[in-house]
Amino acid sequence: MKKILLVFIIAMLTFSCEKDDICDASTPTTPRLIIKFYDILNPAAVKSVKDLKITSLVDGVEKAIIFDKTNIDILNDTIVALPLKINENLTKYKFIFNTKAENPSLIAEDDLTINYTRKDEFVSRACGFKTLFEMNASNQNPVILNENPGITSGNWIKDIQIIQPKIYSENETHIKIFF
Amino acid sequence: MKHILKYFFSILLILCSLNMNSQNKKNNDTVKILPKIDRYGLRIGVDLFKLSRSVYDKNYKGLELAGDFRFSKKYYFAAEIGNENKTTNESQLNFTTKGTFLKVGFDYNTHQNWLNLENMIYIGLRFGISSFNQEINTYKVYNSNPFFNESNTIVLNQKFDGLTAQWGEVVAGIKTKVFDNVFVGFSLRGNILFSNKKPAGFDNLYIPGFNRTYDGNFGVGFNYTVSYFLPIYKKKSIPKEKIKKK
Repeated sequence: MKKILLVFIIAMLTFSCEKDDICDASTPTTPRLIIKFYDILNPAAVKSVKDLKITSLVDGVEKAIIFDKTNIDILNDTIVALPLKINENLTKYKFIFNTKAENPSLIAEDDLTINYTRKDEFVSRACGFKTLFEMNASNQNPVILNENPGITSGNWIKDIQIIQPKIYSENETHIKIFF
Repeated sequence: MKHILKYFFSILLILCSLNMNSQNKKNNDTVKILPKIDRYGLRIGVDLFKLSRSVYDKNYKGLELAGDFRFSKKYYFAAEIGNENKTTNESQLNFTTKGTFLKVGFDYNTHQNWLNLENMIYIGLRFGISSFNQEINTYKVYNSNPFFNESNTIVLNQKFDGLTAQWGEVVAGIKTKVFDNVFVGFSLRGNILFSNKKPAGFDNLYIPGFNRTYDGNFGVGFNYTVSYFLPIYKKKSIPKEKIKKK
């Protein structure tokens, strides 16, 4: 009988070792906005941006996104993931193209405002909740370029297409930018 | 987790059978057994752990009454009934669970008492049910990309009523008579959740009586009881000669 109690105690220890107290990095939590860049001359082909810097106003200061892959704030890629504000229904980003150019006239800047609605969804004990976004076309443009709802072409961005208004996961492209 | 359960139960079964074998051997060796008076009756007690935790933990109020009734030499009907009100505060969640639970089943005393001692070393099974509600007080949005320095704590205060759960428990415990008719007992429990009605958009992370839930329908529990035995009738057990021919 003592043995049975011992087994029980060992079982207890095994239970307490189980770590569902840490949110696993592979668990899908709050998704980021996935933007893919395409060639305006060949709309089916993705195109790498040149020295793109993306900034947003954080606590009154322009802060640059540090990109996952390169760990610097300069992007030369065809895809980017941008965090959205989880307490507001809009997020503004500045897209600074060719930011390393010596001639300032070659640097092109476009502003993007993303309007959306939010809902929080329960994930797990360890992860808590995640925020899901939906770019709604109810009474305002979901994506506004350079604060002007009437245009789709800016200083370097030539066109914007919303592919998936529901930002529920990072596994799909939500917005296509043509340049 | 499922593997641990399989392992755990198979070990438990093996040990049970070993234990029974060893008892049989002892009986074979016994030449003479003194006549013994077995008392039958109802034992009612309270879980001191839940009671004391209600005093020192401001996030917990709970009471559990435990009772058993001896219906044969080795078997006891057993039941626990209780109520819990627990606020769980974790890094991502703060929620309050309130509800009532009932567990019914039996205990099997594996202990051979000397003379008129009435101690128990027992294993048992329970079927547990609970009716409860959950209230999310606050939660945090998990954001692996905290770029905007924004607060991610949301005050919600949303209540989910009418929740239920059913589960089974494997019990192992001891009960010792400390003085006349007063027993002190301790039991450990392994719980398996059979079914539970989950709140829409949330989960039952704590169930009254079942305790914290884990991935894979598991739970553990224990109680520490002080109980009083009400004798109802006595039986004189005539020692049987259990000698078997080999």
